[in-house]
Amino acid sequence: MIVPFNHVLVLSGLLFFLGLFCAVVRRNLVMILLGLEIMLNAAAVAFVGASLRWQLMDGQALVVFIIAVAASEVSVGLALVMAAYHRTGSVDPRQLEQDG
Amino acid sequence: MHISPTAFPWLSSILFCCLGGLITILLLPGRRHQEIKWVSAFFSGLTLVLTLNLFLLYDQRVGGLQFVERVSWIPSLGITYFNGIDGFSLPMLLLSGIVFFTAVLTMWELEHRVKEFFALLFLLVTGVFGLFMSLDLFFIFVWYDVSLFPMYLLIAIWGSTRKEYGAMKLTLYLLAGSALILPGIVYLVVQSGLQTFDLTALMRADLFSPFEQKLGFFLFYIGFGILAGVWPFHTWSPVGHVAAPTAVSMVHAGVLMKIGAFGILRLGIFLCPLGWLYWAPLMALLATIGIVYGVFAGLRQTDIKYVIGYSSVSHMGIVGLGLATVSVEGLNGAVFQMFAHGIMTALFFSAVGYIYDRTHTKALDELGGLSHTMPVASGYLVIAALTGIGVPCLASFWAELTVFIASFRVYPLYATLAVAALVVSALFMLRVLQRTCYGPPNERLAHLGDVSLGLGLPRMILVAVILLFGLFPALMFELIQTASIPLLNGLPR
Amino acid sequence: MMDISLAAALTGLLAPLLAFALIMVLLRGRPHLCAGLSIAAVGLSLGSALLLLARHGASPNPLEYSVQWMVSGDLAVGAGVFLDPLSLLMMVVVALICLLVQIYSLGYMAGDPGLARYYGFMSLFAWAMLSLTLAPNLLQLYVFWELVGLSSYLLIGFWFEKYSATQAGKKAFVMTRLGDVAFLLGILLVLAHLGNLGIREMNTAAVAAAFEPSTLTVAILLIFGGIVGKSAQFPLLTWLPDAMEGPTPVSALLHSATMVAAGVYLFARLYPFFSLSPTAMAVCLAVGTISMLLAATMAMVTRDIKQVWAYSTISQLGFMLMGLASGSYFAGVFHLTTHAGFKALLFLCAGVFIHHFETNDMVAIGRAGGRRQLIPLVCMTLAAAALAGLPPLSGFFSKEAVMAALAAQPNPIWLGAGLLGAFLTAYYAFRLIFLIWFPDRVSAETAPENTDAHGHAHAQPRWQVLVMLVPLVVLALPTLGLGGLQTHLMSFLAAGLTGPEPVLPHLPWLPLTASGCALAGLILAWFEFGRRRAPRIGFAERSAFWRSLFAERWYIDRFYRALVDRVIDRGLARLCAGGDRHVIDGAVDGLGRGTVASGKAVSGLHRIMIQHRLGTMFAVIIFLALYFFI
Repeated sequence: MIVPFNHVLVLSGLLFFLGLFCAVVRRNLVMILLGLEIMLNAAAVAFVGASLRWQLMDGQALVVFIIAVAASEVSVGLALVMAAYHRTGSVDPRQLEQDG
Repeated sequence: MHISPTAFPWLSSILFCCLGGLITILLLPGRRHQEIKWVSAFFSGLTLVLTLNLFLLYDQRVGGLQFVERVSWIPSLGITYFNGIDGFSLPMLLLSGIVFFTAVLTMWELEHRVKEFFALLFLLVTGVFGLFMSLDLFFIFVWYDVSLFPMYLLIAIWGSTRKEYGAMKLTLYLLAGSALILPGIVYLVVQSGLQTFDLTALMRADLFSPFEQKLGFFLFYIGFGILAGVWPFHTWSPVGHVAAPTAVSMVHAGVLMKIGAFGILRLGIFLCPLGWLYWAPLMALLATIGIVYGVFAGLRQTDIKYVIGYSSVSHMGIVGLGLATVSVEGLNGAVFQMFAHGIMTALFFSAVGYIYDRTHTKALDELGGLSHTMPVASGYLVIAALTGIGVPCLASFWAELTVFIASFRVYPLYATLAVAALVVSALFMLRVLQRTCYGPPNERLAHLGDVSLGLGLPRMILVAVILLFGLFPALMFELIQTASIPLLNGLPR
Repeated sequence: MMDISLAAALTGLLAPLLAFALIMVLLRGRPHLCAGLSIAAVGLSLGSALLLLARHGASPNPLEYSVQWMVSGDLAVGAGVFLDPLSLLMMVVVALICLLVQIYSLGYMAGDPGLARYYGFMSLFAWAMLSLTLAPNLLQLYVFWELVGLSSYLLIGFWFEKYSATQAGKKAFVMTRLGDVAFLLGILLVLAHLGNLGIREMNTAAVAAAFEPSTLTVAILLIFGGIVGKSAQFPLLTWLPDAMEGPTPVSALLHSATMVAAGVYLFARLYPFFSLSPTAMAVCLAVGTISMLLAATMAMVTRDIKQVWAYSTISQLGFMLMGLASGSYFAGVFHLTTHAGFKALLFLCAGVFIHHFETNDMVAIGRAGGRRQLIPLVCMTLAAAALAGLPPLSGFFSKEAVMAALAAQPNPIWLGAGLLGAFLTAYYAFRLIFLIWFPDRVSAETAPENTDAHGHAHAQPRWQVLVMLVPLVVLALPTLGLGGLQTHLMSFLAAGLTGPEPVLPHLPWLPLTASGCALAGLILAWFEFGRRRAPRIGFAERSAFWRSLFAERWYIDRFYRALVDRVIDRGLARLCAGGDRHVIDGAVDGLGRGTVASGKAVSGLHRIMIQHRLGTMFAVIIFLALYFFI
């Protein structure tokens, strides 16, 4: 293993916090989705690293799952964003409050 | 237990027949009502033929499990696709086949969302058949939930009186039941340490400690008991019956409630015989309360379907009382009563459904004099009511008689109360007849036509079945005995 | 090979069933064919009954054919036929009266839109009653016992558009059901102790060993409960008068001659078993006596011609039970036989009047010229005399036998009650007869043309009148002549009894006293209703108190009405239905509402912007992670 496992974890942790920051702070529904994607990818990176570290295929299998889930999540999420945009005329999450 | 891969998989073919019907209906365009109905009739008829075939092919001299099919499904968890029937499940399969076919025919006049209705009905029945024939705890649970979920939609969309309330109540109750059953299954599977969901493997008498059996039986008893309408968990059933459309009431009261009793028998009694012995007095008490309570509550109702609903509570109480006797006669009577009551309520709801479709009322006060305008339709109602009262030569008489005889030996007081409830049940059934069928001709209903031959067919089949098993109860008892005697002989005392 | 007796018995039993099935399934649209089929079937039954009587009448050994009908664990239910003198006698009586009544119905029910249904139900009844008669075990007997109850329900409510008829049918079914519940419990008790319900097995003295004496008494009394219900004895007697709402031939067949007599038949059937418990026998005797007297008093005040005969049926059934319970098997059965003949005759005659004058009121019939219906009136007088127990008619002999049995009782009160009953019977029977023979206003004779025109407004074809009259004449024969067969019948029946029949003391004064009592009743009736200047008001009707007491059936009906209303409908049923709605459902709905409410309360926490929620969630997770892992 060229890259030490700890480095992988750090990378994945950084990515995760980037995603988290994006999802929590940006006042834009699309950016929130993006943040979620980044967090998923962070987890995927950690899995790949772990798979290499212990030489088990389970991690890689899970990554495939994550990619599939992420894809479907994005498609559904974007559809919801579109619906929200049609209703409120904006992609600001605060606008969703009033409609309840 | 033999697994013969060459033998024709009769049991799976029933399931595939239901699924085939479901898929064919889904593929048909929704506006072609006639075609959908014919397809439904064809597939349900085929199912009935298959179950009848099983009834004839089952070898009563050998008894035990027959037509066994076993395919490993998830080996690491010990889940197998494992089907087989014995003297308990065969009557239930036959019942489901008959009720399903007649229910489809009963809905011949449906015009609202025909495709969805029949598709959901097929899905429901797939679950029912699967449950009765499955011998794997995991599959039993899956089939149980498959048969519950369409109920909600069927009632909420096609129902009548307070349908949302009824549907929601029913679903919540039944889910509460499954919330007890699942822990029961998991608990027993884990405690056995065998890594298998195979019912026959878990049936070994020494496998579970007395405490485990008591706990397991209790979970199954309450969980399935909710579905079987055990007092005081019965209130979903009259409300659900009333809200549901005719065919769903038929399947619901005729078959689904039997699933509850069958579950108690198959999981509770088979897996936890000591628990059965331990809890039998409680079962008998609740059953007797249900019998007496059902008839008295039925007396006050003003909606025909409520009346039938409460009489179902009372009749299912007889099943419970039979199970609680821990005797061959009691088990025979209970299973026979499950069958007889299924056919009887199907007939009842079918007859009432016909009348409701014409008159648009189920209130006793608004009906009356139906025998003038619809002599045949009210004739079916009369026969159903008489079966409900337990008139001899109609199927339920023998079932009730055997249960009374068996319970009188063990619980004389309960048996006396149950027998005394017959008087009140006669009173309220005859009141229903008096207020619906009899009386001077009702001008408001005078223009309505009687049942035509085609529409009468499902009722005719049901009446014929009631008479057949009422006149020749041995047909059924001999079959059930093949399962009940070995079960009782294997009981640890 | 099947032997001839079995074949005959099965043919006799199954022919009406076949007729019933054919009529109900295929032939509803063709009423005359139905009638013919039904009559042919019951004729076949009568033929086979007579054949069996001829073949086995003399043989002392009862014949039993049984097959296992159903087995469930230890319980085996047999089905078959049991031929002994008692069942053969009863079978002949039932088949004969069924046949006559069905022929009579051709005229009585002519033109009724439900004729096919009527004959279907009649066939059902014939099948059930004949099978009940020949049942070899108590369970089969119970099955058909219920089925005759069912056919009674269906036939009482035959004219279902009449509220009173459906009400009466329901009442009859439920009240007999009450008795049947006791009967069933009795069967269960016997089964639990004896493990067997064969009639032959129950009628052996060895049975006593299987029971404790008190249990045996309870079992017998429970079975007797069934008899009380079916034979309309005290306290379940009020359904029978109401049952007169059915067509008159039905009343003649079911509610006087055969079905209600099934209770007495059951007593006779199990006579050796019943006599094992003297206490139970004493209770039976008391119940019979009370019913006999109560019903007789009720009959004294009603003006409805059918009601009078209905009350007298209850009263005579009470007599039969008294005879049986006081230890004379023969007296009870003999009275059952003769009663079947003359009571069917009474009802059929009454039916002719009711059909012709379209009223049930005896006074109105008398005024409208009832006496011009000569054949029915003569037959009715004859039968009434038999009912009153006047020599030399059949009723005299059978009542004599009952009286002799009562006289043998140590306590004279039973004989006294019996004599009082004989007096009352003669009084009410002849009150009716005299009111028709000698009406107070002779409107009928002042304007004969007028009534004649009215009477024949619905002029019947000649054959219809004829088919109604022929059965009357046929039934009048046994009423006249059956008494002469007493000794024959006695030896015939004694052959079937396992125990010895107690030899009754021959009391020469008894026939004189009994017929004296009856004669006194007749003379009193003549004095009050018959003679030219009679007051036409009975001694019982003078006092308002007694009149209302008798007419209200001793308030027994009121009591039941109140019981059903207050205790069952407004009490228990309301409690259960209310409990269901408010307690159980209330708890469940409350749980649901509670869940929703707490959900609402908690959902307040969710009313913040989505990103804040997300942030909170992650913060919590991070804190938890820190807490657990560091």
